[in-house]
Amino acid sequence: MFYVKNNVTSLHRNLLIATVFALFIVLGFRLYQLQIVEYSRFAGIAEANQIRVVTKEAPRGLIYDRNGQIIVENKSQYNLNIIPYETVKNDSVFRLLSRITGISESEIRQRVQKNYRGLFLPARVATDIDFKMLTEIEERRLELPGVLYSLESVRSFPGPANLSHVLGYLREIDKEDLRMIKDYGYHAGDLIGWNGVEREYENILHGQKGFEYVQVNVFGQEVGKVQDERSVKPRFGNDLYLTVDIGLQDYTEKLLAGKKGAAIVMDAESGEILAMTSKPDYSPELFSGIVESGVWSRLLNDADRPLYNRAMQGTYPAGSTFKIVAVFASLQNSILNPDALIRCQGVYRLGRREFKCWKTGGHGRMNLFDAIVNSCNVYFYNLIRKMDLDLWADYARKFHFGAFTNVDLYGESQGVVPDEAFLNKKYGLGGWTEGNKLNLVIGQGDLLVTPLQMVRFAGTLATHGKVVTPHFGLRYLDCQTNRFQTFVFTNPDSVSGISAAHWDFVEKAMYDVVNSKNGTGRAARVRDLDVYGKTGTAQNPHGEDHSWFIGYSKRDSQILAVTVLIEHGGSGGGEAAVAAGRILNYCKKNLVPTPAQTEIATR
Amino acid sequence: MKKPVQIGRSISSSNFLIAFTVLLLCIAGLLALYSASLHVDAPFFKKVIGKQLLWMILGMVTMSGISVIQKKLLFDGAYIYYWLGIALIILPYLMGDSVTGTSRWFVLGPIHFQPSEFMKILVIITVARYLSGSDLIISDFRSLIIPLLLVLLPMGIVIKQPDLGTAVIYFFLVFPMLFWAGARPYHLFLIVAPILSIVTAFNFYSFFIWVLILILALYLGKEKIWIAVVLFVFNLSLGFLTPVLWNRLKPYQQNRIMTLFNVDIDPQGSGYQVIQSQVAIGSGGLFGKGIGNGTQTHLKFLPKQHNDFIFSVVGEEYGFAGVMLVLLLFFTLIILLINVAYRLRDRFSSLVVIGFASVFLYHVVINIGMTVGLLPVTGLPLPFLSYGGSFIISCFIMIGIVFNISLERRR
Repeated sequence: MFYVKNNVTSLHRNLLIATVFALFIVLGFRLYQLQIVEYSRFAGIAEANQIRVVTKEAPRGLIYDRNGQIIVENKSQYNLNIIPYETVKNDSVFRLLSRITGISESEIRQRVQKNYRGLFLPARVATDIDFKMLTEIEERRLELPGVLYSLESVRSFPGPANLSHVLGYLREIDKEDLRMIKDYGYHAGDLIGWNGVEREYENILHGQKGFEYVQVNVFGQEVGKVQDERSVKPRFGNDLYLTVDIGLQDYTEKLLAGKKGAAIVMDAESGEILAMTSKPDYSPELFSGIVESGVWSRLLNDADRPLYNRAMQGTYPAGSTFKIVAVFASLQNSILNPDALIRCQGVYRLGRREFKCWKTGGHGRMNLFDAIVNSCNVYFYNLIRKMDLDLWADYARKFHFGAFTNVDLYGESQGVVPDEAFLNKKYGLGGWTEGNKLNLVIGQGDLLVTPLQMVRFAGTLATHGKVVTPHFGLRYLDCQTNRFQTFVFTNPDSVSGISAAHWDFVEKAMYDVVNSKNGTGRAARVRDLDVYGKTGTAQNPHGEDHSWFIGYSKRDSQILAVTVLIEHGGSGGGEAAVAAGRILNYCKKNLVPTPAQTEIATR
Repeated sequence: MKKPVQIGRSISSSNFLIAFTVLLLCIAGLLALYSASLHVDAPFFKKVIGKQLLWMILGMVTMSGISVIQKKLLFDGAYIYYWLGIALIILPYLMGDSVTGTSRWFVLGPIHFQPSEFMKILVIITVARYLSGSDLIISDFRSLIIPLLLVLLPMGIVIKQPDLGTAVIYFFLVFPMLFWAGARPYHLFLIVAPILSIVTAFNFYSFFIWVLILILALYLGKEKIWIAVVLFVFNLSLGFLTPVLWNRLKPYQQNRIMTLFNVDIDPQGSGYQVIQSQVAIGSGGLFGKGIGNGTQTHLKFLPKQHNDFIFSVVGEEYGFAGVMLVLLLFFTLIILLINVAYRLRDRFSSLVVIGFASVFLYHVVINIGMTVGLLPVTGLPLPFLSYGGSFIISCFIMIGIVFNISLERRR
């Protein structure tokens, strides 16, 4: 026999049997407890009652503007639900329900199928039902077992402004998303912030649902709560305060109505965004609760792309506003004497190619200062010929172009600052010429910026070098402690290595752009307010030029940076400057620095 | 020393008893499934009861086939089977169903099966094979390392699938086998000690009591003093570290670990099921409501009532008397298996039977413990009662191997 002998003792066997016996005794005792001791209790529950899980909604936090004006609140709507199990064999329920609601029987069945979450969990068949329907259902309660309505809280927007791109919207969590986020306490069918600040501040805004186990009788009426340690209390969402001034926001939206473009107003010191408009936009009401697929596809397929946030997703050539970068590069590195005169005859010849100035007749002889005020292209063509492209690109990057601003909104674009390496890669070594440089210096060619980067640039010019992180989050009211919590943003590196004299030089030129009689930005002038600016006219392959204006105003302690972009708006001195002037005028008349502002500004 | 003839006769009579017990359990399962599928409008063999009957017949055929093959095949091929089994449980992981996120099913055309069920059998055979090596000194702690590795490998694989219930069974089935093979209980205690140190650390009193037990055990273990100190410090620091590490985890990470130990992740869902299951069992009373008469009818619509929660159907419809009968049948089966193992003369066979007995025991205790609310919800089925092809066939295979092993002496 090749097997090893079994040397087990009877002690082993008896110990094992004793263990098995003990385990079975425990099970048996528990069954005795359930079936004999507590029989009547369980029999009672089982006979007349059923247990149902009731979700306790936790309202999402509200959203206010910087002055405490409400922007987003919750409103309640009644939804009609069906417990699939209780109606599964009961056609009369569907017939009656169809008569009351006017929804066809097959449609109701389809919706039950679509929203099915389990046999005992309510499936939604209608949203926002009116009071008449509600009373009728309540009256015929006994004929409608398994039909119940739930109070759902949806977003509503009482304010005048849309602010749709900033607010974003909510979306129903589907099974796919749930796999990633269920550890954070979400359930299928919950709403989650999917864009805008609703997404960015989801963890602050969202409440956590609670649930309770209740006993219901055969008619589906609640008869009592089951005391159970498994029930969970709801936790409300926290209220969020944005940096936006809703009045200003409304004003800019009305100003840009009917146009395509973007406008941003930002506090240059703190990075607080007071208004951000992207047109065309859409009414946030469309996304108040669960979005109908029709609405969704209409917005998605709109040729004007209303869902697209031009203010931070859109990338455009910067046009002449970008000349200022070359000015700093030249002054700081003594490329060209600012007092040297260069003659503009309206055209610059490079080999056989002609590069035009915007003024057909030419500007005549001018120095750097006049070239900025008049936005003379030929002057800058001459300038960039003497400069290394990488030096120019370095200065563009000093101002953090080609980098995310890290604004607290989802989906920002980065833009492009081309340097030699970039051009070599794109066109091949030697595949690009001095002509590319000429285009870049006037903000054309491969250079791409977002309006948000431009407003930050304007702010940097206004503060002589401070680069802020633009943001919308101001603070939130922690509903656990009932205290305000202020958000803290860290700014990127300031622009260094530019002397004060050069900052002053550019500031003076920008003042003249708006305030001198031949400045290109005269349309942005505001009475009794120091406005500084630079216009831009960006050629683009899609049609008429885009109109740019970037600038800032200084009043008391407040420095406001503003950027307006009008797609196909013609020259920068036109539409964009007009809009920027009106916006700053509005700010002068209506904005009062609030205490909260100063608190943030000193951060 | 008993005479071989006597052993043969007593084993064959206990085999008859085992077969009879299994048959009764199958009938109980079919009766419960009968009420479960009472209101399902489908041809008989499309209902769970019909399908289960087919699985049972298939299982009995497999059992008969296995009971006549040569035992030598099991013994000699053990290690090969083991690695084949490992390959099989990795396979569904590679081609797993990404939609549900679980990959414990293996799909082969129209056939779905769970290789992890069959792997239990292979693990038991392999561990038994190792423990019956002729030059093995079982009282040496080092002899326990290989068997532990043999169970930890498949456990590590299925724990990722995710199937915590099965993984736990892999781990714990080795202990009765080691005990049976003559390992020192003190060594087994040392293996389980770190786990207990971690678990008890969440409560001061439980940890305090545990530390006392630990000291006592180390004292009784008559260990060299420095080894005892090292072991003590190791376990103690595990216990102290656990709450610290736990509190440093973010809530969602804690949640992830919690859900690992509570396979039904949706607290709403599992809480509901356990309440319903307890109401069903409790309302069954002494004699139950009779077949098909469960007034706690909505239990019939619980998704798992015909597999994981089948016992609550039994409890509701047959009452305390019914569940006691089922418990008695399981008890009988396990005791019979232990007795067979006791009487078998070679260690390999004896250990295999003990391994099977522990699998049955764990399944019964964990499953019933879950339906009565004593233990967390894990997806472990009840042998011979729960619906499910892979599991029922693997149960019959185990019985078949028991028959095979115990009959060979007579040939």
